Amino acid sequence: MRALVLLGLVATVTPAPAVASAAEDEAAALTLADRTAESAEKGRDWRVFAEAALRQSKRQGAGQTLEGGRLSMDLRYDGSFASGWRAVVADRLDMNRGEIAGSGNVNTLKEAYLSWQPATDRIADLGRINARQGVALGYNPTDYFRAGALRSIVSLDPASLRENRLGSVMLRGQTLWAGGSLTALYSPKLADHPNASAYSPDLGATNRQDRWQLALGQTFSDRINPQALISGGAGQSPQFGFDLTGLVNDATVVYGEWSGGRAPSLAAQALALAQDAAFRSRLATGLTYTSPTNVTLTLEYDYNGAGLGAADWNALRRGPAAAYAAYRGFVADRQDLPTRQAVFVYALWQDALFKHLDLTAMVRQDVVDNSRLQWLEARYHFTRIDLALQAQLNNGRPGSNYGALSERRMWQLLARYFF
Amino acid sequence: MPLAGLASAAPSAQSILAASDAIRNPGKPFALTVTLVEYRNAKQTDSNTLTVYSSADPHSGQFRSLIRFVAPARDANKLMLKNGNDLWFFDPASKASIRLSPQQRLLGQAANGDVVTVNLAKDYQARIATEESIQDGERQTRRCYQLALAAVAPDVTYHHIDMWIDAGNSRPVKARFYTASGQLLKTAYYRRYQAQLGVERPTETVIIDGLDPNWVTVMRYSDYAWRAVPEVWLQRDYLPRFRPE
Repeated sequence: MRALVLLGLVATVTPAPAVASAAEDEAAALTLADRTAESAEKGRDWRVFAEAALRQSKRQGAGQTLEGGRLSMDLRYDGSFASGWRAVVADRLDMNRGEIAGSGNVNTLKEAYLSWQPATDRIADLGRINARQGVALGYNPTDYFRAGALRSIVSLDPASLRENRLGSVMLRGQTLWAGGSLTALYSPKLADHPNASAYSPDLGATNRQDRWQLALGQTFSDRINPQALISGGAGQSPQFGFDLTGLVNDATVVYGEWSGGRAPSLAAQALALAQDAAFRSRLATGLTYTSPTNVTLTLEYDYNGAGLGAADWNALRRGPAAAYAAYRGFVADRQDLPTRQAVFVYALWQDALFKHLDLTAMVRQDVVDNSRLQWLEARYHFTRIDLALQAQLNNGRPGSNYGALSERRMWQLLARYFF
Repeated sequence: MPLAGLASAAPSAQSILAASDAIRNPGKPFALTVTLVEYRNAKQTDSNTLTVYSSADPHSGQFRSLIRFVAPARDANKLMLKNGNDLWFFDPASKASIRLSPQQRLLGQAANGDVVTVNLAKDYQARIATEESIQDGERQTRRCYQLALAAVAPDVTYHHIDMWIDAGNSRPVKARFYTASGQLLKTAYYRRYQAQLGVERPTETVIIDGLDPNWVTVMRYSDYAWRAVPEVWLQRDYLPRFRPE
């Protein structure tokens, strides 16, 4: 190696050897290519992995140490069994042990549906489907089917929250044309309440009311890509949504996601207060910049017009614990923001320091109460195994958005094996 | 050799470039498998397998591509769409479609623009710089036109390119890719010519990093097939729908 470095130094000052050196390097590269084995792999309909995790955390307050472990199996099948027909099943089993909340087994039937595509541009689906909408990273106001979808939270990484969630049972149809599509779906009420038992499909978590949605997407140019949505259901006014992505330059994507419509505040819904329906907006807007070294940085501003402003939030924090807990539980179930404003920062450095090491950092800042969640991950990829170390730190005054989380800091070591 | 005289006698630089594009890229929608094997200091450090579906835009002539990740297992069935600068990444496990900027790389050394099919003659203005004999990727001496390509389309992956094209049969032999400041980004050899979809085409590209020549990526192409790529595939909303045949 040292000889190669020296060779490089010499090459920079003497042009003739530089040509010779380049020729040698290229000859060496071609020899490597000669030795490269034929290794094209075939696609598979399955993706299965097992994951083991050890976790240690410190509680807020006295700082009691809690330890726990988890073993998970995650399966996804997406196959075609006849011309135009497709079956999708995605399931995850988390077996939690230890002193942490949520111990025991939790099975999450994420998806189970059939898809029929009689023509390239027409598709119908029936079953439990993760119908995800939205282009933002930290908060998705137009992801209307996120409510009730989280059954087992194994990481606060937004990528994990998106993946480990319940779809809703629905009938969905889509028609497509060059550069655009129209999607309509109907999701019926199937149960009254969620079911926390370990192996329940938990239809009550996702199908507690009749709902419908229309989504229209149309690409106007390779720089601007918008989508419009309208979503409604029993006992609620239609909500309008709009997603937009744009390319600022070679390295920067901007995005915006807005949802608005008449709706009661979250507090009125959670605490059964007097109805206060009004037109309320939710917004997430930000940009993602990629550096020449392939570090991707996202900055996002989030606004929830149905959340609590500073005065009401402070009043709730100082009021009865039961009301506070009811509000937090309701908002968490809907994957919404408890307060009006937040900032989200997410950075990913792929192949950081050395090949196959990815470093991820996330900060969620509640602008209203100044509390903060910080999350870091170092993940190393082997061919079939991922090793990850995650750390989380929650800062804030008692009762604040992140200061109220039961654990102040947390470490988690993960090993994932892909079959 | 000064080329003022040669240029008038020889075919035009742009037609040579277009002919070499036609050798690299089939003229109708097609699919192929790309295997990328990456080396650092002569040791294999990474391997990826992708299936690429490509179709030329009837207006611009430039290719649009849908890329399915096949291996490693953690990335299996993830998708990338490249339709001009409309770039999307889709993960079927989360149903998340994430818009990418052209600078965002998913595959280590290989830029997204390296993996997808590109008609260079649509994005670059070519000029014959010289005609010379060079060693090709099989260590054979070839008489080549050296073309100097200057970007004319905005948002291309490389600012300018030196490309050596076999003077006898228009086969691409070698290329050097540069930044606007003239820094060498990578050198590529096109080799292992085989009959694929009716034409002798290079089935391997060897990419050597411009700054670190010990960083080498071997891109190997297999399973060529004519494949209909309907227009409706080439948008974000189709990504959750895509199923390989």
